[in-house]
This record gives sequence, structure tokens and C-alpha cells, in this order.
Amino acid sequence: MTDNPPPEPDQQCWPGLWQHVAVYGSTWLVLGLAIMLAVQVSLLLGLVAAMAAGLTWLTVQRLLRQKAVADQAKCLVDEQLLQSQKLAALGQLSAGLAHEINNPLAIIRQEAEWLLFLCRQSDPLDMTEAANGLRQILQQVDRSREITTNLLNFARRQQPVVQAVNLNRLVADMVRLVAKEVEQRRITVVSQLAPELPVINSDGPLLRQVILNLLNNAIQAIGQDGTITVATEALAPDQLTVQIRDTGCGIPPEHLARIFDPFFTTKGQGQGTGLGLSICHGIIERLGGTITVTSEVGKGSTFTVKLPITLTPKEI
Amino acid sequence: MPTGPCILLVDDEERFRQNLQKMLRAHGLTVTAVGSGEQALAALAAQPYDVMLLDMRMPGLSGLETLRAIRQDYPDTEVIALTGHASVDTAAEIIRLGGFELLLKPCPLEEIIAKIESAYERKLARQEKQ
Repeated sequence: MTDNPPPEPDQQCWPGLWQHVAVYGSTWLVLGLAIMLAVQVSLLLGLVAAMAAGLTWLTVQRLLRQKAVADQAKCLVDEQLLQSQKLAALGQLSAGLAHEINNPLAIIRQEAEWLLFLCRQSDPLDMTEAANGLRQILQQVDRSREITTNLLNFARRQQPVVQAVNLNRLVADMVRLVAKEVEQRRITVVSQLAPELPVINSDGPLLRQVILNLLNNAIQAIGQDGTITVATEALAPDQLTVQIRDTGCGIPPEHLARIFDPFFTTKGQGQGTGLGLSICHGIIERLGGTITVTSEVGKGSTFTVKLPITLTPKEI
Repeated sequence: MPTGPCILLVDDEERFRQNLQKMLRAHGLTVTAVGSGEQALAALAAQPYDVMLLDMRMPGLSGLETLRAIRQDYPDTEVIALTGHASVDTAAEIIRLGGFELLLKPCPLEEIIAKIESAYERKLARQEKQ
């Protein structure tokens, strides 16, 4: 019998463990450490990846926010620009309107003040003078009403109604309409209407308004003794032109750029509201055409209207 | 012989011009009325005027152009600008050119007369200083 010491309790329970550890312990340790390291590296990489993803997301979000803010700012600037342009146009329109209305109002006030003055005098009221004053008040009221009517017509901007229009006939009709006026002023109207002009699809009444406005403008530019030449021509297969030339006073170069602006006028007080040419410009634009002017002071002006044969109206 | 100011009224609106001339005369003032800036310069060349009522919006020589010419050649004439509408720029230009006052149409006759008297007093005061 050998006196071997009794084994330790653990050694009794796990008889091969120590031996196993002795043989493979370092390997398991290295493996465990490697696994732990791998797990930690994975966690770290995951964390880095998550952080990178988070940062990317945040950056993208920030960029999107910045873009949204920039877009908003751009919209605001665009809106402000549009608003300031609208205000400038409104200011110009209001200034012209104020001037045109305040002049007849000034006369109405004068007439009323004068009538009151006459009434306060001890002499009997001169009825002829009083009647003249009242007539003048009525005339100035009509003048103001004409200004507001023109302004409303200018603002109304009816949609064109497309119909077949014989341009030569339309121009000839308008020339006939001003025949008496030009005769009284010893103005000669020369018609140079191109034969066999194609019928166009346009808005007849609007075109009549334009031609009549341009003829009136030419008559007023001449005053007395001169020539108005009205010409039509087929410029291109899809385009016609109407030209109205006058031998009037002409337009100074500094006024040419503003000639189609509302309320711009070089005429004397009460002789024009400065809306005629701007109305013409608005109408021709709506009829898909163009209106231009060339002029030389002392020699006259030429207004050229180019119209498409088929109307493609613009929404303004 | 009138002792009050000698007034030159310049306005292209005929009825306004005639009415104002008639009303100022009825108040004992001496008024000559003309219808354009060019006529105003011709009138000033013919005789001196104390106060000028000058419309700003006229065909031909405008009110501002007339005012510039007057300031250069007739600095003693006090100018009251008349207008149906004055922008800030126009008002600033009138003041810069030495215009005495800017009156907006329609304005009461009493106001026009008060401004004429005030402008005339200013002219007399300036003459005394010289």
C-alpha cells in the first residue's frame, strides 16, 4: 500500500483540469484574450462606425438645414426684390396719378374759392362769371373721371378674344375715324397698306384701340400741318407689322426709354394722362407682339407694331 | 403805384393760371402770368420780380430746369414751387436750388398768399443785409 496523500477536493472533482490547464492554459488564455480583444475592437469599430454615421447624419442634417435656410433667405430676397419692384411701379403710378388728379382738383378749389369770394362781395353776383366757374368745375370733374376711367381700363387687362382680323381694313377704318380731325389740322394721311395681307387671328377691338391711340398720338405730335404715314407689311410668314410715322415734334432721346411708362407724358397739362402709350404697350404684349419707337427731335417719330399671325396670348 | 411784391406766376395749366392771377389781383397783388419756363425767363429778363410761383411739371423747360436757370441769373427772386405731386427727390432738389417753399396743389388761396408774403419779407430782409 502506498501512502499517497489524498487528492485536493478540486483535483478530485476535476481530475484532468489542472493537467489540461498546464498543457493548454496559455493557448486558452491567448485565445480568450484574442476574443476579448476582437470583441473590444469590434465594439470600438462599431462605436466609431456609429459615431461616424451619427456625425455624417448630423452633418447632412446641418447641410440640409443650411440649404433650407439659404433657400428661405433666397426666397425672401426674391420676394423682397419683387416687392420692391412692385412698390417702385406703384410709387411711379401713384405719383403720376396724384399729379394728374391734383391739377383738376386745384382748379375746382380755385373756382369754388372765387365763387365764395364773389358771394361775399357787396355787389350783386355776376351770374355769367358764376356760371363760368360752375361749368369749369364740371369740366374738371369730367377730366378727373377720364383719368380714373383710363387707369381702370389700364388695370383691367381683359383677356384677348381671338377672331379673324383683316389688318388693312382695321387700319383703314381707324384712319377714317380720325379723318375729320386731321383735315381740320391740315394733316395729310398717307396709307401704304400692303396688298394681299393675310388675315390674322387676333383681338380686333384691342387692336383698334392701339391703332387709334397711335394715330391720336401722331396727330398731337404734329399739331398742325404735317404728314402721317400708315403702313402695313408682311415681315415674315408668321408676322405682320403696322407702322405709324409722323412728322411731328419727335421725342427727345432721354424720354424714349420711358415713353411706354404709365403716366409719362411730355404733353401740357390736361392734354394727356400719359396712359395712352402704356395701354398700347400692354395690349400688344398681350397679343403676343411687340411695339417699338424710333424718333428724332424736330423730324418725327415712328411707332412699329409687330403682330403674330396666330395669337398666342400672354397672361400678364 | 403798388408797394407789395411783384409776382411772376408760371404754370402751363391755363385755367389754373388765369384763376390764380385773378384771385391774387383781387387781393391787391401785382401778378404777371406766363405759361412756360421759357416765357418765365423772358419775363425775368424784361423786368425784375420779387416772388415767382413756379409750376414744376411743364412741357419744354421743366420747373426744375427753370429754377436752375433763375438761381444762376436772377438770384434775388424768391421762388415758390407749385406741384400736383412732389417726390422726396424733387423736394430735396428744390431746396438745394434755393427754392423758398414747395406748395402742393390743390392748396387754399390763403396759404398761397401767406407764402408769397413770407417770401417777400425774406427778400426784403436779405436786401437790407446787403
